[in-house]
Amino acid sequence: MTIRDRWSRLSLNQELAAGALALGFLALFARPYRSDVVPLDVRELAALIEEEKDHVDVGDLAAWIVEGRSDYRLIDLRSEDEYAAYHIPTAENIVLSALPDAGLSPNEKIVLYSDGGIHAYQAWMLMRAKGFRTIYTMKGGLDEWKAAVLFPTMAENAPAAERARFERAAAMSRFFGGTPRTGGAGTATLQTPEMPKVEAPAGGAVLTKPKKKKKEGC
Amino acid sequence: MNAPFFKFGLFGEEASLILALIIGVGFGFFLERAGFGSARKLVAQFYLTDLAVFKVMFTAILTAMLGVTLLGWTGVLDLSQVYLVPTYWAPQIVGGLVLGAGFVIGGYCPGTSMAAVATGRIDGMIYALGIGGGTLVFAGLFPWLKGLYLAGSAGPLTLPQLLHLPYGLVVFGVVIMAIGCFYAASLIEARFGAKGEGSPE
Repeated sequence: MTIRDRWSRLSLNQELAAGALALGFLALFARPYRSDVVPLDVRELAALIEEEKDHVDVGDLAAWIVEGRSDYRLIDLRSEDEYAAYHIPTAENIVLSALPDAGLSPNEKIVLYSDGGIHAYQAWMLMRAKGFRTIYTMKGGLDEWKAAVLFPTMAENAPAAERARFERAAAMSRFFGGTPRTGGAGTATLQTPEMPKVEAPAGGAVLTKPKKKKKEGC
Repeated sequence: MNAPFFKFGLFGEEASLILALIIGVGFGFFLERAGFGSARKLVAQFYLTDLAVFKVMFTAILTAMLGVTLLGWTGVLDLSQVYLVPTYWAPQIVGGLVLGAGFVIGGYCPGTSMAAVATGRIDGMIYALGIGGGTLVFAGLFPWLKGLYLAGSAGPLTLPQLLHLPYGLVVFGVVIMAIGCFYAASLIEARFGAKGEGSPE
């Protein structure tokens, strides 16, 4: 390498260094983070709700828990007493009023649930207003969780296809400590079985609290 | 504001996998073209004869940092949506030392070993087998390592938060540090470097 080549190479490096320095100086004045409150695009939200992309089904959530997935955070919005009495495995308890300051991060996938679902839907809107985009509710809330996952029902004279589906639901129910029910005259005559004990899924594969580890990142 | 693209739903999981493949192939291609598919080139930095690896990696960090800062500032990128790997002090320090030792001994880091495998280098293939074996051993020993694995959890942590400094000041500081390091690297290469062109391969 001649002296002239070496000099021209150095010169390019110096140019790059000067460019980096200039951009770095500019960065001194940069405010790259958004503020806490963002404008809501109501048309986008309306489309999102219509396409049912604002919630997850209880069956899907149950499958995630069985698989031991840990790329989401499940938030129980009910009171501490209700949470202590029963909650879905892997759920954390954050009461609705504490949600905005609970330190959740917008880069996490968050699933909210309440008893019937109304509070969860309202909390979903609040969190959207705070700029959370990967936030979901559990469709139907804990009521739907009980009906579909914990205590699935089937009429005794059900056809074979429904029977097979029920068998799968029953296996899922037993995993979560629930009670699958079969009855002659529909669900009305059935007694509501006892709620399973907290933290006691029959499968035992589920941790009480998942690590906040995601598939993202390197 | 429309980035990160994935978080804003511009493409789904499948498309993101295809993009990952394209970006990965590009990354591997440029690693190889920079000579980083060769263990000789990579370990030359530990003998202080050729600091290309250090300079390339630090340049990449600087470019990405300035790009992210300016895109965030102009509103194209929403930084709060970008995933941050949570900090666990103990395992990340121990893991860094293990990776560094493996780098010095084996002559590759995980990414460059894959570039070496792709170019048919036998040492790269053995190194990749070692990565697989080590991963299995780690999985087997996980019940004993779990305490270390979760030790010193600090959550997603950034330098501005850690140092209690304004974001822009940290960026500017890293730029100054990088330029100083590049200058030092050129002095070191002039002192220890092989005379003449390129790597000692």
